[in-house]
Amino acid sequence: MSTARSSSGVLRVALATLLLLVLLPSLAASVEDDLERRMREVASGLRCPVCQNLSVADSTSEMAREMRALIADELRAGKSPEQIRAYFVEKYGQWILLSPTARGFGLLVWLLPALAGAGGLGAAVWVIRRWARRSAPAERPPVDETRAARLRALVASDEVPGNLSAEERRTIETLRELAFDHQAGKLSDADYEELRALYESRAIDVATSSARARAERRLAELEAALAAFDAEAASPAPSSRATRPRTWRWVAGGVFLLGFSVALGVFLTTAIQVRGDGSITGGALTGTGSETALAASRDVHALLAAGEQAMQAQDYTRASAVFRRVLELDASEPTAHAFLGLILLRAGHTEQALGSFERALEKDPISAPALWGKGLVLYESLGRPAEALHVWQTLLALKISDEDRKHVTSVMDEARRRLEGPPRAAAKPVAGPDR
Amino acid sequence: MAWKRLLLVFGLGVPLIAVLAYGFTRDAREIPSPLIGRQAPAFQVRLMDGREVTLEDFRGKVVFLNFWASWCPPCRAEARDLEASWRQHQGTDVAFLGINMQDKEDAAREFVREFGVTYPNGIDRGNRIAIGYGIWGIPETFFLDPNGRITYKHIGAIDPELIHAKLEEARRGNVSRREGKGEYRSIQ
Repeated sequence: MSTARSSSGVLRVALATLLLLVLLPSLAASVEDDLERRMREVASGLRCPVCQNLSVADSTSEMAREMRALIADELRAGKSPEQIRAYFVEKYGQWILLSPTARGFGLLVWLLPALAGAGGLGAAVWVIRRWARRSAPAERPPVDETRAARLRALVASDEVPGNLSAEERRTIETLRELAFDHQAGKLSDADYEELRALYESRAIDVATSSARARAERRLAELEAALAAFDAEAASPAPSSRATRPRTWRWVAGGVFLLGFSVALGVFLTTAIQVRGDGSITGGALTGTGSETALAASRDVHALLAAGEQAMQAQDYTRASAVFRRVLELDASEPTAHAFLGLILLRAGHTEQALGSFERALEKDPISAPALWGKGLVLYESLGRPAEALHVWQTLLALKISDEDRKHVTSVMDEARRRLEGPPRAAAKPVAGPDR
Repeated sequence: MAWKRLLLVFGLGVPLIAVLAYGFTRDAREIPSPLIGRQAPAFQVRLMDGREVTLEDFRGKVVFLNFWASWCPPCRAEARDLEASWRQHQGTDVAFLGINMQDKEDAAREFVREFGVTYPNGIDRGNRIAIGYGIWGIPETFFLDPNGRITYKHIGAIDPELIHAKLEEARRGNVSRREGKGEYRSIQ
């Protein structure tokens, strides 16, 4: 009996252990899933500091990866998403938040779109109502009974007054035809009444507008006569009151456009910097380069120019890529070798730098950058000022800019002093003309 | 009616130009640091010689804290200048500390050997120190006064004259209004 009880106890413990073993991994997985979800939630609200318009959650950069790991660690440590966000804001400022807080200046970001939307909606309603008012037929004024009676009398008589316009004549003809059809029984009374009312009102409208046109014509004639009289009186014609505001409007518009163009021109030229290859195609605004175009280029001259510009801009990574591309196209191109040597020298690879200068000088014994660089290696790194001076003498014999000549001379003076004075362990590094 | 239209055009046009002007004259990638003038975030780092140091160990000294990586050209460009500055200030109340980040340890050690760097350098595994200092470009340098307050931040390569001037300011506790900028590389 006791054996049976104890064996059932063992069985129970074994079952419980098995259940725990089965459930534990899935429990742990669900906790991890929850943590991952919360981490992503926080990360998706943070801007990746080394990317462009990517969140920490979406970026594949190492920095974003580390930031995600940090968020997960903090969540595991029991910090709330708000505390984690506050930590990043403390380090990077409000900039790090993809959705700025609705406080202070950040409030504008939230309010402005709503205000702009409301304003736009209001403007749309106003414009639509204006259009609707314009296109809606004007309320027909009640027909003047006296004029209607005169018109009916004219229609009933067969006369056609000579001073009527063609349209007026046509309308009266139509009314006469309607009356004829009605008398002939072709039109019912109701149809006749309806059509007659329509054409009568139209005829009155036509008569009114014709009368107005006639009156305006007469007025214009009168004005022309007055103008002619004024001209005859030889007094300078005063500018019409009606044209004055229009001129002012044109002038104001012109001034505004001019101001806008100048402002845009100034800001664009100060903000956009020419890229290493001389183009300003987007790179300056977006921060993206045109390396693809560069890699495909086969124009050695353009590449050399781009490389020299990159050197001037101290963009040595780009310069190095450009000169390597040149050497892919022409393995013995001396200028590319010389500049690569200068980059290598700057990076501290003196031996490789010297190799590059030697290769440049093999092809072009008077390559200025190669002579300058070789002298630097000899003077700075190898401690052979006499040989450096000899190399730089050749450089001075070449046509170089006054500024470079002055710099080379001053470095040579220093080398001479060093040659004459007591030997020193290391020479002071010399920044040189990279061109 | 005409003045109303003009008011509308100027009312919309002038703010638009102002926004464009503000946007065009800013570096979109620049992240102004909120840390300047504040206490430097504390950290502990293992140096390349195996010692563990904390920022607290440097209290009472003017600290030159430089974040770098061996793959970054501006870091290479400034390396000799930093070493020269260190030698100039060595033995005074100035401490130099390099923090290597986003790098391979072998490459970092090779860099230190290549440029003959003699001031202490630590490796920031996991970039936690870098994130704590809001690093986004490289190299970045922080100057700390003897009380551990950040007085100046410089993004990009820095020259010895500026180092000297900013160390002096840090010694006096003068806080720069904003960070300086040289040539830098965006980190990945």
